[in-house]
Amino acid sequence: MTIPDPRPETRRFEVGHSASIGASKSAEPVFDIDDLSVTYGDFRAVEGITLDIQPSEITAFIGPSGCGKTTVLRCFNRMNDLIESASVEGSIRYHGVNLYGPRIDPVEVRRRMGMVFQKPNPFPKSIYDNIAFGPRVAGHKGNLDDLVEESLTRAALWDEVSGKLAEPALALSGGQQQRLCIARAIATSPDVVLMDEPCSALDPIATLKIEELMLELKKDYTIVIVTHNMQQAARVSDRTAFFTVDVRAEGVRTGRLVEFDDTGVIFTNPREQSTEDYITGRFG
Amino acid sequence: MQHPHDETRHRYSESLDATLRSTVELGALVLENVRRTTEALLENRLDLAHQVIEADDEIDEKYAALEHRVFEVMARQQPVAGDLRFLVAMTRILYEIERSGDLAVNCAKGLIRREGYSLSANVQSLLARMSRKAADLFSRGLDALADLDAEAGARLDEADDAVDDLVGELYSAIAQRSGDMGFDLAVELSRVGRYMERIADHAVNIAEHVTFIVTGSFPEEPAATKDEG
Ligand SMILES: Nc1ncnc2c1ncn2[C@@H]1O[C@H](COP(=O)(O)OP(=O)(O)O)[C@@H](O)[C@H]1O
Ligand SMILES: [Mg+2]
Repeated sequence: MTIPDPRPETRRFEVGHSASIGASKSAEPVFDIDDLSVTYGDFRAVEGITLDIQPSEITAFIGPSGCGKTTVLRCFNRMNDLIESASVEGSIRYHGVNLYGPRIDPVEVRRRMGMVFQKPNPFPKSIYDNIAFGPRVAGHKGNLDDLVEESLTRAALWDEVSGKLAEPALALSGGQQQRLCIARAIATSPDVVLMDEPCSALDPIATLKIEELMLELKKDYTIVIVTHNMQQAARVSDRTAFFTVDVRAEGVRTGRLVEFDDTGVIFTNPREQSTEDYITGRFG
Repeated sequence: MQHPHDETRHRYSESLDATLRSTVELGALVLENVRRTTEALLENRLDLAHQVIEADDEIDEKYAALEHRVFEVMARQQPVAGDLRFLVAMTRILYEIERSGDLAVNCAKGLIRREGYSLSANVQSLLARMSRKAADLFSRGLDALADLDAEAGARLDEADDAVDDLVGELYSAIAQRSGDMGFDLAVELSRVGRYMERIADHAVNIAEHVTFIVTGSFPEEPAATKDEG
């Protein structure tokens, strides 16, 4: 079985796999997560997560630190495979296909899903090479210069760096570095962009630029963002998932999903008191 | 609405602009209904009175949707300064507009209850002048809103005196003729006078809220003291 490739033909260039299961229908979720639990060794970090991620939407994960937002996000691109102690239960379907099925290649999965981290992490290389690296490794057949320009343009960075592509990426400002990382994430033509607190190291203006960029990118990509900044979730996301962490008598902390709804509902009239307490800052 | 990061916040300011436009459009629907009511009263047209009542359903729906939108923008965009004044004022302005629509409906219902009016020439003429003046004021309130004209508040407050005077004249005309027009009609016409006066008050309030949006304070007299009773 191959991983479904919902991207339009023109955005595919990887060698070695062919598309299966039809192009994404907007009615079908990109991810369908059912009763997901993640355990690190014998510590159950999150349990009973059921939610779906819709195409071309921004879905935000909010909740107090340690409630498992990153853990759940890492299931989407099988990054948890890289953590020896982690084990995943329940089901995650990606365009209808079991992402943890026996014949799914996790490397292939990660190629479909660009990831952006909390701290901008450009390679210690030139701006150009940061973008060109992934596609080159993936055997990109087209013109790399064009791809670099297109990726940087989509990431709203081209105008600022077009004259200095050979300069080291690490010389850019934090906000520019983060946009470079976004450009790098989309250079391999992913279907989904996962962002884990992408603005937490940035100042407010750089943050607003990234938010604006997300709104632009969601036309072409499905975005899932973890953010500790609930105003950010309110501003940019279409749907918001609020997680919390239950502390049991023995001091064991397990994350769970409290409420998942349209962002407008979550921020004007949430169903659960604990959501209301958290977003109004009354969280104990 | 000015933003320091115009480019990055453009969607947000677009949503504020759209809110303003839609609110003015809602006001235009109400204005149309106030005028329709006036015509119904003066020409004794029960069919028009029924149209007024029907048209109000759409107004109520749009009002509820717009109020919800303002509410959601406040929750999601954390507005401050001018944007916050704008959105808070917009909830009040929406209320003034929606109430004006209800007052037009009240007039129409009165006409239907009475199965039409037969009016003396003098009362007819006073009713016409008063209602047109009130509609005119309402229209100027909407212009103030559309242009975010800070000066309009004080101007409209002055113009409103003319409506009050006409209403006063209408009351005395009714009192003089209450013998031959009958008690029920006298009461109904006094109500119409009261409703039209209040529509004009709402128009003044709208313009005063606009002053608040632009300057951060109300013209001398706080709008909240208007429209009591
Ligand atoms: N690699 C790991 N090994 C063991 N425990 C982990 C690991 N990563 C996260 N955890 C634990 O899982 C829980 C959820 O963490 P995380 O998903 O990072 O939460 P969040 O992103 O919401 O802050 C926390 O108790 C955290 O300590
Ligand atoms: Mg985290």
